Amino acid sequence: MNNVLRTCRGIVSVSRYIKVNRQSAQFVEREFHCTNSCFDKNPKVEVISVDSFNNVQEKNKQTFLDMLKMYRMEKFRSGHVEFINTAIKHMDEFGVNEDLETYKRLIQVLPAGKFVPQNYLQSEFMHYPKHQQCIVDLLQKMEDNGVIPDWEIEDLLVKRFGTRGIPVRRYWRMMYWMPKFNNLSPWPIPKPAPNDPYELALLAIKRICSIDIESEVKVYETKLLEESIEDTWIVSGQSPDQKKLVANHPENVPIYIEGGFRIWLRKQSIIYFILRTEPTQSKENEKEDEDDVSNFQVPFFDKPKTSNKIVRKKTLHEQEDGTILAVAATGTSSKNSLLSWIRLLEKDGNPKLSSIPILFTSKSPLGNVEPLVELDESKKQVEELEKKVSIE
Amino acid sequence: MMQCAKRFAVAFVHRNRWENICAESAKTCRWSAARVIHTSSATLEFHEYDKRSGYDTGLDYAETRTERIRLALKQLKKEIVLWKNEMKEMLEADPILDYRAGEVDIFWRFHDHSSLDKWIVNCDSDHALGFSKCDLKISSQGYGLFSGNLCSQVPKDGKIQNSGYCNILTKRVAKSFMRDSYLDWTAYTHLNLRVRGDGRSYLLNIHVSGQFDITWNDVFTFILYTRGGPYWQSVRIPFSKFFFASKGRIQDRQSPLPLHKISHFGITVSDKADGPFQLEIDYIGADFDPNHHEETAYEMYEVKQNYIIGT
Repeated sequence: MNNVLRTCRGIVSVSRYIKVNRQSAQFVEREFHCTNSCFDKNPKVEVISVDSFNNVQEKNKQTFLDMLKMYRMEKFRSGHVEFINTAIKHMDEFGVNEDLETYKRLIQVLPAGKFVPQNYLQSEFMHYPKHQQCIVDLLQKMEDNGVIPDWEIEDLLVKRFGTRGIPVRRYWRMMYWMPKFNNLSPWPIPKPAPNDPYELALLAIKRICSIDIESEVKVYETKLLEESIEDTWIVSGQSPDQKKLVANHPENVPIYIEGGFRIWLRKQSIIYFILRTEPTQSKENEKEDEDDVSNFQVPFFDKPKTSNKIVRKKTLHEQEDGTILAVAATGTSSKNSLLSWIRLLEKDGNPKLSSIPILFTSKSPLGNVEPLVELDESKKQVEELEKKVSIE
Repeated sequence: MMQCAKRFAVAFVHRNRWENICAESAKTCRWSAARVIHTSSATLEFHEYDKRSGYDTGLDYAETRTERIRLALKQLKKEIVLWKNEMKEMLEADPILDYRAGEVDIFWRFHDHSSLDKWIVNCDSDHALGFSKCDLKISSQGYGLFSGNLCSQVPKDGKIQNSGYCNILTKRVAKSFMRDSYLDWTAYTHLNLRVRGDGRSYLLNIHVSGQFDITWNDVFTFILYTRGGPYWQSVRIPFSKFFFASKGRIQDRQSPLPLHKISHFGITVSDKADGPFQLEIDYIGADFDPNHHEETAYEMYEVKQNYIIGT
């Protein structure tokens, strides 16, 4: 094929270009000249303008499919590639980027049987390259949005591009890899993921609590408390081990409410808070010189010595950077709701909390902390009050 | 001739030569006067020129000659120290002979600021390809903290289609005098990490850059799912699970991870969820499990090809 083109160039091309080619061996440009008259027509106007998708009033799946239907109803369908490319760009706004049926309909915009290569040369040299590329882009979009194709799509693609078409090969690759990764995550999130913050909070707290199999995730309503100011929900997770830790907590050591931290559930995130204390100091093993006989102990007469080499096994919640006593996410992520959380925990099996000092902190050793908007607002209120005072 | 040389010079200076040569030739051709069909583009782009694929290295070379000599001598001092240590190690000849099951050998740990020197941090905004920001530092508790803000907004230059990644990567494994070398992990079967993530999934990349240009971008990858939350998480991934990719595309022909020629190790986040991310890392290591015999988790048999070329 290349040889053929080379000879063509030798005959047809202008001497100017040959000179350039000979002199710069590094930059070879093979060109092919045609007569001007064939091309001196006005450029073809695209059938689908960019605005046709923008002009739709209500943007949802139904209207998107209607647009495809309208295009297919036209008598002389042309500009398939332009239409599909424009449609791909607008899929996100119409909310159909995770919808398999829409992708199928988009493939069906191309007529079946027209682009199937009829011989080896055609199939080797990418028959209808723009059409193939546009469907490859469509499959890429599917992959990016985590939509696994089904066998019907294979049928659609084979009917349009033949078994050797590049979109078909790409489809097979997707069908090999995507199901492998689909259920790989140890903390699966339902698909489509819920949009409701309450549902997300439940998922997030369950996910955090998955470290301890005994932990319970409970939902509290703040209106059950008499002294609570706002009415919201609190998703709280605590295990029996953590309750024991609270019960054995010394009364002079404070507990911190830290947060908000962010946890991601696929593309959404939720703010959560933790109840943390400083890590328990493990007693230093006193080194005993066993060869020293100056202070010899006779086990028959003296008190049996308790060994400091045996220590209580630490629970999962006692980490080197702090002991985590509970985890929660609230509807408003406000200071008031967190106070209610402590009161509700107190009623629900942690009576000791009432006698331990509890502090709010905006910093945490466990990574970056999201600033609370509500806290900032309260600061502003204070500042405003101060201003007013100064004016008076 | 002059025009052509200029064109080449412009392309040489620019970051991505392929794109610029195309753009330049399009500009110089007068479309209206002579209709031209380009049968093929510049043939000199068949192979890759540099290992960085045209991205800048970020190395500041000295301006003047004397400054360059001064810097080189400074570097020479360091290299000689490295060489001395290598020689000492060779004479001592004390390799690890027994890899006990379940014992984690730690390769990278973040305890002090000198441990950050082994890492390169980059993101798309470094190359004007996006708007993400990231940072690797030592947290107040003495762990490595890879954090930043991921942004998948695409810059409007008409070329870039996807954007939004942050990445940390170890420097190229090298012997003294900057000779390329490889890590040998053949004795191990599992990668071990202790991390505290934020619920995102990260990518663990084991680079196995080879000698030839088509192998420069060979990477074996697997996903690191993080739980999120205040608890630390120990991750143990068999090397056999890592799949072969190059330039961000999973390859059709998979192969077992060549553990004897590891050139870099990296962690990437690019999960298209815009917002802050953080991954605390305690250590990265590996261990040996005598009961693990799998070489690769992916199918190795030849499929009957019903297409003719490529792949």
